[in-house]
Amino acid sequence: MPERVLLIEDDHELGGQIVERLRRAGYEPLWWNTGRRIPPEDLQGLALVILDLMLPGTYGMDILKDLRATSDVPVLVLSARNDTTDKVRALKLGADDYMTKPFWPEELIERVRARLRRPTLQRQDLLEVGPLRIDLELREVRLDGKPIELTRVEFDFLTALARRPGVAITRAWLVEHVLDPERDGTERTLDVHVSRLRKKLGGALVETVWGIGYRLAAGRDPGSNASGDPKRKPGHEP
Amino acid sequence: MRLRLRLALTTLAVTAPTIVALVALDARMRHAAAEQALARIAFQHMLESGARDRCEATPATWGGTPLPAPRTGSAPPHDLPLFDHPSGPASPPPPPADGERPVRAGEPPVLFAYDALLRAANPRAPVLDEDLVEAIATRDVAAEPFTIRGPTVQVLLRMPWTTGPCTYVLARGTTGPGWLGAILPASRVWLVPVGIVIVAVLLAVGPVVGRIRKLTEAVRRSAAQGFTGSVTSPGDDEIAELGRAFDAASQEVRTQLAEKDRREQALRDYLANTTHDVMIPLTVLQAHLSTLQERAARNDPFDMSVLVSAMDEAHYLASLMHNLAIATKLDAGEPQLHRAPVDLNALVNRVMGRHRPIARQRDIALESAVPEHPVVTDADVTLLEQAVSNIVYNAIRHNRPGGHVAVLLEVIHEGRFRVRVLDDGPGIPEADLSRLVERGFRGDEARTRAPDGQGLGLHITFRVAALHDLDLRFQPSEYGGLQVDLEGYCGP
Repeated sequence: MPERVLLIEDDHELGGQIVERLRRAGYEPLWWNTGRRIPPEDLQGLALVILDLMLPGTYGMDILKDLRATSDVPVLVLSARNDTTDKVRALKLGADDYMTKPFWPEELIERVRARLRRPTLQRQDLLEVGPLRIDLELREVRLDGKPIELTRVEFDFLTALARRPGVAITRAWLVEHVLDPERDGTERTLDVHVSRLRKKLGGALVETVWGIGYRLAAGRDPGSNASGDPKRKPGHEP
Repeated sequence: MRLRLRLALTTLAVTAPTIVALVALDARMRHAAAEQALARIAFQHMLESGARDRCEATPATWGGTPLPAPRTGSAPPHDLPLFDHPSGPASPPPPPADGERPVRAGEPPVLFAYDALLRAANPRAPVLDEDLVEAIATRDVAAEPFTIRGPTVQVLLRMPWTTGPCTYVLARGTTGPGWLGAILPASRVWLVPVGIVIVAVLLAVGPVVGRIRKLTEAVRRSAAQGFTGSVTSPGDDEIAELGRAFDAASQEVRTQLAEKDRREQALRDYLANTTHDVMIPLTVLQAHLSTLQERAARNDPFDMSVLVSAMDEAHYLASLMHNLAIATKLDAGEPQLHRAPVDLNALVNRVMGRHRPIARQRDIALESAVPEHPVVTDADVTLLEQAVSNIVYNAIRHNRPGGHVAVLLEVIHEGRFRVRVLDDGPGIPEADLSRLVERGFRGDEARTRAPDGQGLGLHITFRVAALHDLDLRFQPSEYGGLQVDLEGYCGP
């Protein structure tokens, strides 16, 4: 069942483009080209509202205020004005996000997706990312069901990445939180550990992110990709 | 209305009724005194022995001025003719009833007799006023009701007897002599304080009016010169205070005018620069679109690079417009910072979202890392976001296909955050960098002198960093390109 997104935008060209993009991204768009109060019955089944602040005859902020009085539906505000006062005001009135025109369509879809992303339920003692299954209690790692023997550093490293799958983690953070401070704790050492880990895991599960550090490939669940870009290319080695 | 005239009219308005009231009171009192005196003279005369008999003996001729008793001689007064006959040589003619001759103050009193029905036997006796007739019905002495008609005073007296032609006696006289008859007081002493007051008022007002005139001229002069000259009035009284207040006001006007001029200039500059800056990328964009259209019309193979360039120009235009708007705010004088807690993780993610489409088109790997928990700082979110965005876009724009840009948000030490932007592009020459961060280097210079117009973006980043007390460092990155660090304190 596609999620329904209400777009309130007076410009026909822009409105049409956004509607088309939303549909292609798998949402069910609903487009109003005039600003008016949203009756409570229309709010039923709405997953998100995209609201243009500059509508003829209506002040977008009033619609927002009205909406917030009756509903908690996420609101993404669009505005041609790159103005802090407007942003602060919209956020105070309960907007969830603020986008300044112009924007690329991908940018908008990414924001909508980020807003509608459901938090993945994770058990405290078990991490599952793609083919990886990490039991934190038993400190046991399985790849496609097969147990893999890891050293303490390798296990901690993998756990750190798996906690935020698809998100790049900096080398500095990993050195500080994963390596034993008593022993040689440099980024060079980290890279050595990573190359050993890669041999054990095989494939491109642990990605190197240029200039940053490492990332666990998000695998088969793009919805859990925090940066919202499932088509990202693997990073290049620096 | 002129000050002097107003003052004169006010004085007049206050003085005139006062004088009228005083004069009326004075006249009233003198009338009362004259009435008492007349009544006394008439009673005294009539109650003398033989007076009634004389009157009743010749009622047709009785009347006139009672003759004063001789001051010398021992003869009893009643032996003397107390009453002259009106025809007698010693008597002045009795006052006529019809007023053919104006009555003068200080004339001697005259008496006439009337019977019980208030008829006079003497044809010279005046006809009694109705007021007197009415008044005598209930009392023994009746006087005319007070009017400021002149010095004439009439009193009608009821005699102690009730019959005969001399039952009532009319005593007629005048008040004491005085200037303008009975109206004004006899003495002119009152003129002295009035004169002194008028002179004092004129003496006091004269210089004040003169100084106010001078002040007015000074204000007019100052206004004619566009409030550039100062207005002063010596002294420490209210007029000097007025002069100082006007000076302060004109100073404020000067400040406001200067501020307005500066804003207008900034707006004009913005319009001129914007037009100039926007037209170039817009022209390039048009050329790209035209190329695409022509190739499509000729069925030539699709050229992705032209499309990417067109997208690049559009992206550049968007960034340029934001930067120009901010440059205008920063150049227009004291910029207003709307500080509020800013979630830097979200800010970095927004910047990434903005540039990721164009980086992807240019085949540049754009990566970012933010800590798991939000890093918050107190800043103007629009300015800070544009500052970070400019660094990131600069790294993308000055890179090659296949290049990398990485953005790292980290909490370093002592509650400080660092936004680091790395790239492996060609970097920016040292000279250009140092010029961009020069103090006093203006946005319009950044546009024209820095390569590719991107100087404006970095220049704005520099200014925003300075406004927020952030450390901004440019240095060569270990990957061959540029490393830009923006550091500041966490926390709202």
